[in-house]
Amino acid sequence: MARHIAQRLMISLPVLLGVLLIGFLLLQVVPTDPATVVAGPTATRAEVEAIRQQMGLDRPLWVQFAGYLGRVLQLDLGRSMISNRPVVDEIALTFWPTVELMLACLIWAVPLGISLGTLAARRRGTTVDRAIMALSVMGVSVPVFWVGLLLIQYIGGAGLLPFQGRNGPIWTADGFLSIILPAVTLGAVFVGPVARMTRTSLLETLGADYVRTARAKGASDWRVTIRHALRNAMIPVVTLVGLQIGFLLGGSVVTETMFAWPGVGRMAVGAITSSDFPLAQGAILILAVGFMVVNLIVDVLYAYLDPRIARS
Amino acid sequence: MTDATFNLQSGADQRAIAALRRKNAVWRRILRDPPAATAALLLFVIVAAAVLAPWIAPFDPYSNNMRLRLCPIGGARCPDFLLGADNQGRDMLSRILFGLRATLGMGVTAVVVGGGLGALIGLSAAYFKRLDQPLMRLIDVLLSFPSILFGLAIAAVLGTGLGSLVIALSVAAVPSIARIARGAAQSIMQQEYMEAGRAVGLGDTALIWRYLALNCWPTILIYMTLQLGQAILLGAALSFLGLGAQPPTAELGSMAADGRKFLSIAPHVSTIPCAAIFLVVLAFNVLGDALRDALDPKLRQ
Repeated sequence: MARHIAQRLMISLPVLLGVLLIGFLLLQVVPTDPATVVAGPTATRAEVEAIRQQMGLDRPLWVQFAGYLGRVLQLDLGRSMISNRPVVDEIALTFWPTVELMLACLIWAVPLGISLGTLAARRRGTTVDRAIMALSVMGVSVPVFWVGLLLIQYIGGAGLLPFQGRNGPIWTADGFLSIILPAVTLGAVFVGPVARMTRTSLLETLGADYVRTARAKGASDWRVTIRHALRNAMIPVVTLVGLQIGFLLGGSVVTETMFAWPGVGRMAVGAITSSDFPLAQGAILILAVGFMVVNLIVDVLYAYLDPRIARS
Repeated sequence: MTDATFNLQSGADQRAIAALRRKNAVWRRILRDPPAATAALLLFVIVAAAVLAPWIAPFDPYSNNMRLRLCPIGGARCPDFLLGADNQGRDMLSRILFGLRATLGMGVTAVVVGGGLGALIGLSAAYFKRLDQPLMRLIDVLLSFPSILFGLAIAAVLGTGLGSLVIALSVAAVPSIARIARGAAQSIMQQEYMEAGRAVGLGDTALIWRYLALNCWPTILIYMTLQLGQAILLGAALSFLGLGAQPPTAELGSMAADGRKFLSIAPHVSTIPCAAIFLVVLAFNVLGDALRDALDPKLRQ
C-alpha cells in the first residue's frame, strides 16, 4: 500500500512541476516591469538597473524559476495587483467556499446518480431504463450555465431562494439557503455521468458468478443487487467519480461566477479578465494542487477498496 | 502478369466490398435506432446551417438597431426577426446561425488539431515500443490536468480570445484521443498482416500509414465525435465566462452571457443560444454513443 501511494506521488510530481512552470510563466508575461514599479516614477535608468539586479531579474530564467519554487514552498505567491493583498490571503478566503460548494453538490448528486443507475440496471431494457439513460445523456450535454440561468430566472427571480453570493457559512440558515441554487446547478450536470457509470458497472457485476450463486441460495432480487452486486460495482464508480472531479471543477468555475459565489474559480476568472497576473497564478496553482490531492485520495481509496490494484 | 493483377485486384475488391458492407451495417444500425437517426439528421441540418450561414442568414448579425432592442419573438416591432432581437436590436436568428458557425468551427478545429496530434502520439506509442513508456507518461500527466485549467491557464498567458480558446480546447483533446488511438493500434499491431507487411519489406512509414492508421481511424473518429460534444461544451463555458470569443463576435457561449443581464425582461436573448448549444452537444453525444455501440462488439451485447 505504501509503495502504491509512493508510486502515485511520483506520477504527480511532473504534473506539479508543470503547474508551477505555468504559474511562473504567468508572472513573466506581466506587461509592466517589476523593477520599474519598485523604483518608482522618478528613478533614473541606473537606479532601475540596480534594483533589477537586486531583485535577480537579470539572471537566467531557470535561476529565476528556482527562486520562484523556493518562494512557493514558503507560501509566498506575491501580491494581488489590484487589492495589493498577499495572494495567499486571498486564496485562504476563497478556498473554503469552493470546498463547501463541491461538497454540497456531491452530497445529493452522487447518491441520486447511484440510485438512478441501480434502478436503470435492474430494469434494463424497460421504459424506466431508457428514460433514465435519456435523462443522463441530456445531463451530460446541457451547458451548466443554462441550468443556472433557468434556476435564476424561475426560482431566484420569483424570490423563492437567494442567488447572489454566499450569505454565510453553510451551517447558518442564511448560508444554507444561499448554497441551494448553486449546489443544484452544479449537481445537475453530475447526476447523469454517475448514473451512467453505475449502470454500466452494475450490469457487469450482475452477470458475475457470485451473483448467480447468491441467487441460487435464494436471496431476494434487491438483496442480490444491493448486497452482492452494488458493493463490487462501486469500485469503478469511486474511481470514475474521482476522475470526474476535474469535470466538476470546470462546472464550479462557471457556477461560482454566475452566482457570485466567493470561491477560487470566480477569483481565477476575475483575475484573468482584469489581468491580475499574480492572483491568477495563485488561483490556478491552488486549483491544480487541490485537484491533484483529491485524485491522490481517490486513488488510495480505490486501492483500499480493491487490494488487487495496489499489488499489481 | 495481367492475370495476377486481376486476381490481386479482385482480392482487394472483395475486401473493399466486405468493408463497405460493414460500414453499411453500421449505418443501418444507426438508421434503425430512432434517437441516433434523429441526432444524425439534426447534426446534418445544423452543420449545413452553420456552413451556409453567410448565405442563408436573413440579416447582418452585426448591424444593430436600437429601436428594436430586446424585441421578443413574434413582437410587433420586429415582424421580420423570426427569433426576436437581442440587447442591441440585432436579429437573433442571424446571430444564432453565425454563432453556430463560430462555436462548431472552434470545436471542430480543436478536435481535429488536438485529436490528430493525440492520434499521432497514440499510434507512435503502439508502433515504436521504446516510445510507449515516455509518451504514455506524458499523456498521464496531461490527463491528470482538468481541461478547465488548460482554458484558464492559456487564457491567462496568451490573453482572452477565440485563438487562445481553440489552443486550450486542442490541448484538452490530446490525451484522451491518444489513449484511445494507442489501445486501437495495439490490437492492430498483433494482426498477422502487420507482420506480413514487415516481411515483404515495407518501411515504417508505409506500415504506420497504410496498415496501422487506416485500420484505427474508425475507432479514432468515433471518439473524436464524442470529444466534439465535450469540446463545444467547454468552449462555450469559457466563452460564457468571458475568456473566449469577445463581443461583438457572434458565438453561442458569449451570446448566452450577453443575454444574462436581461433575463427577467427578455429571456429569449440567452435562452436561445443555450438551447442551441444543448441541442448540438446532445446530438453529438447521442450519435457518438450509437456509433460506439455499433462498432464496438464488446459493448454491443
